[in-house]
Amino acid sequence: MAITDTPRFVRADGPDKVTGSGRYVADLTLTGMLTAKLRYAGIAHARIIKIDVSAAKAIPGVFSVLTADDVPDLRYSPVVPDRHLFAKDTVRFEGEVIAAVAAINAEVAQQAADAVVFEYEELPIVADLEAALAPGAPLVHEDWESYDVTGDTPRDRNVATFSSITKGTKEGVDAALAAADIVVKQRYVADGSHAAPIEPRGVVAQWEGNKVTIWTSTQVPFDARNGVCETLQMPSNRVRIIVPHLGGGFGGKCGFHFEAHIAALAKASKRPVKLVFSREEEFLAPDRRRESMIIDLETGLNADGTIAARRGWVAVENGAYTADSAFFPQLAAMHVAGPYKIPFVHIDSSLVYTNHQPSGSVRAPTAPQGCWACETHTDELAKAVGMDSVAFRKLNAIDTGDEGVVGQVYGEIGLQQCLDTATEMAGYGQDLPDDEAIGVALGWWPSFPGASGAFVRLDADGAGQIVTGAQECGTGAVMTLRQLAADELGMDPEDFEIIYQDTGVAPYDTGATGSQTLLNNGRAVVAASEQIAEQLKDHAANMLEAAAGDIVLANGTAHVAGSPDKSVSIAELAEVAAGGQMLIGKGSPVPPEYPEIPGMNCVGDQGVAAWAAPQFSCHAVRVRLDRDTGVARVLAIACAHDSGTIINEIAAHGQVEGGVLMGIGQALTEGTVYGEDGRQQNPALLEYKLQTFADAPPISTAFIQIATAEAGPRGAKGLAEAPNVPTAAAISNALAKIVGQPIRQLPMTAERVWEATLSIADDSGETA
Amino acid sequence: MHHMNLDVNGMSYPITADASRNLLSVLRNEVGLTGTKEGCDDCECGACMVLLDGQPVNSCSYLAAQAEGRAVTTIEGLADGDDLHPLQAKMLELGGVQCGFCTPGMIMSAKALLDRNPEPSEEEIRIGLSGNLCRCTGYAKILAAVGEAAVEIR
Ligand code: FES
Ligand code: FES
Repeated sequence: MAITDTPRFVRADGPDKVTGSGRYVADLTLTGMLTAKLRYAGIAHARIIKIDVSAAKAIPGVFSVLTADDVPDLRYSPVVPDRHLFAKDTVRFEGEVIAAVAAINAEVAQQAADAVVFEYEELPIVADLEAALAPGAPLVHEDWESYDVTGDTPRDRNVATFSSITKGTKEGVDAALAAADIVVKQRYVADGSHAAPIEPRGVVAQWEGNKVTIWTSTQVPFDARNGVCETLQMPSNRVRIIVPHLGGGFGGKCGFHFEAHIAALAKASKRPVKLVFSREEEFLAPDRRRESMIIDLETGLNADGTIAARRGWVAVENGAYTADSAFFPQLAAMHVAGPYKIPFVHIDSSLVYTNHQPSGSVRAPTAPQGCWACETHTDELAKAVGMDSVAFRKLNAIDTGDEGVVGQVYGEIGLQQCLDTATEMAGYGQDLPDDEAIGVALGWWPSFPGASGAFVRLDADGAGQIVTGAQECGTGAVMTLRQLAADELGMDPEDFEIIYQDTGVAPYDTGATGSQTLLNNGRAVVAASEQIAEQLKDHAANMLEAAAGDIVLANGTAHVAGSPDKSVSIAELAEVAAGGQMLIGKGSPVPPEYPEIPGMNCVGDQGVAAWAAPQFSCHAVRVRLDRDTGVARVLAIACAHDSGTIINEIAAHGQVEGGVLMGIGQALTEGTVYGEDGRQQNPALLEYKLQTFADAPPISTAFIQIATAEAGPRGAKGLAEAPNVPTAAAISNALAKIVGQPIRQLPMTAERVWEATLSIADDSGETA
Repeated sequence: MHHMNLDVNGMSYPITADASRNLLSVLRNEVGLTGTKEGCDDCECGACMVLLDGQPVNSCSYLAAQAEGRAVTTIEGLADGDDLHPLQAKMLELGGVQCGFCTPGMIMSAKALLDRNPEPSEEEIRIGLSGNLCRCTGYAKILAAVGEAAVEIR
């Protein structure tokens, strides 16, 4: 079968990827290119006494060795600028870069990195979230008060940012809890975890005159560009970021990472320079680990099973520096509050510095852990009031027109349908062997409207180009843009090529983050295509002697409505247009508005209390437990998602399936383990276990399609993160049913499950 | 330095490389075929899977010198000109490809599996490909693609 004959597939990048001809950063080679190695601190917290690079520089074949002394002396990061490119004065986590080397080959570069002399004095390690909050705890940032913070989040010592969400008043919550018939109070503790894309990141930088081109495996090219501009003090038009194919990201490749280090090396060396991470570096160095969390929840119930009030306290681990995590506390608060009708809610939530790797946006940040706590708690509530856990959710979960946990009133939403559909698909309620159970969890996740741009053009032969700032990280979201342009112009998706992932040619887009590509860039492509459609209709109206308003674009032609044979091909129209006013559309539509909540009472608001086009989901998962070993196996999982209109079915299913498997990993095997020294003990795929093909259960998915107002094209919402939200929670609820009590630690490793099983056995022994 | 002749996808490459170099690095840097990926360099991810006389090996953990005199097949050697191998075509058609970084290794493992077992059960496909990690797809569509490719090849 020839590539061109392959039955219709939508992925424009597919042939490159199945034939091995597609290029990723590690596959690029430039003439004269040097190899970079970074020297990491290798210690969690220390005062720097000396960094001496003279021996490293003297090694033959070494072109440059850079430290904090060689780049502009400034702090960066969004919201809380608290870090430097290279460690300066203090080291705050083991993966902090103290020096960067460019050399003739990898061996020499490594030798030079090892030859950098690093003398330091150890400082006390801040590792535990509660200890970090204690009065008199050692500070991760001694001079935190001097940081030039954006916005007005409350901060204090090791608290990088603080947010609360409140419905009613704090006092109202206290009173409602005191008056409740039943109160359940529990603590849930989640370990951190990793994005772990299969492609370790790479960066190649090359200068020509005063301009630098950087090929990098980032999910957010414009963010990466802005980071380089900020830290190296350059205007945006002299930094060009190009992303070849990206081998997955899952949030781990969001933000700005090592582009500036490599650009600085390339400049100093007067050569192109390339960095490619080892798997171990991929675990240790990026500032994008999924945050660990402690969640305390206290919920009051009325005797009829309705929820009266909820109080919560959340500590979200920030790690050593504030990447894009400033808004995490509020997001976490929303997830532990949950998609429920609760009249009184108050959640306090802090982002806490530690001497661990920084946290950042990994696929639905804070949500899988927050949802896991909230939904495990929900099953405990149902049990306490003597209700079936699904019936309890039917009663309390929000539906169209209901008011949620911060007072937002939702338009048409499909949460209740998700609950009905997933539980039915899973056969909830059937008799199961006593080592099996079906656990159910609800999830939710916001959409993020924002600015985004695209150009669409048809050239003289009628072939189309979409030039977009959007970034494809594998989800297929960018690939789906062809469908939107084709639909607007009555053409075939395969008539379009996509030029993407190049800040030098395309207008701005936020990147592959926040599941926003289709939502925002989809609207931009539609807007750009509409402009071309107008032009085509005008030309066709002239040629066919009809009114432009009567022209229909379909099947590669323009025809007069009602007379399909009065037509002209789009290729002919394009040829005519090419001789005069060309077919170039530009789209940069005004984003949908965020909802406003009158009288909202949230402290340190980070803009994620009111949710635009919220996505909803329910997962129902059948689990079997081997009680002797504590090993849980997911047998099947049924997923129902309200992500609005689904535009690309294959890609949508792929997102759910991938998200679910990541969720299973997070539920059962994936957790960062730290030693006493504040260093990761499992930075390898042998010790940090991703789910394999053999582990993967059958996954069935249903979409509750509601064309959502104030959302993306055709009423689409986001989708890439949502499937990652409720999986761990559903597994937790299945395990709790089998074991007899929840495992209130994440991941729910075999060891932890086994211990819980034992403790239950002990308890029943005592009572018997 | 070691001189060797490597037979890759039916072409003979005279190569000079350090005897300690692994096959992955020689394929990518000396032979110039970058379709084979490095995800871990530690025999843990399968992204570097190639066939040696038809047998699947993680090329990151195999010395290039040991491949001398044996037929190496990489992802670039699978299609017949413009005609995709059924595994490639089905991976595309059924959505088994997302970021694509695991894809070459996955397809090579699947090729080896179908060569030795042309009618694999679902379970046999799951087990046969369990050395290839994919973070994107949840494996569901890869499973379907390999199943359908098997039918097409028979
Ligand atoms: S690179 Fe060889 S198994 Fe991962
Ligand atoms: S498609 Fe991305 S790792 Fe498999």
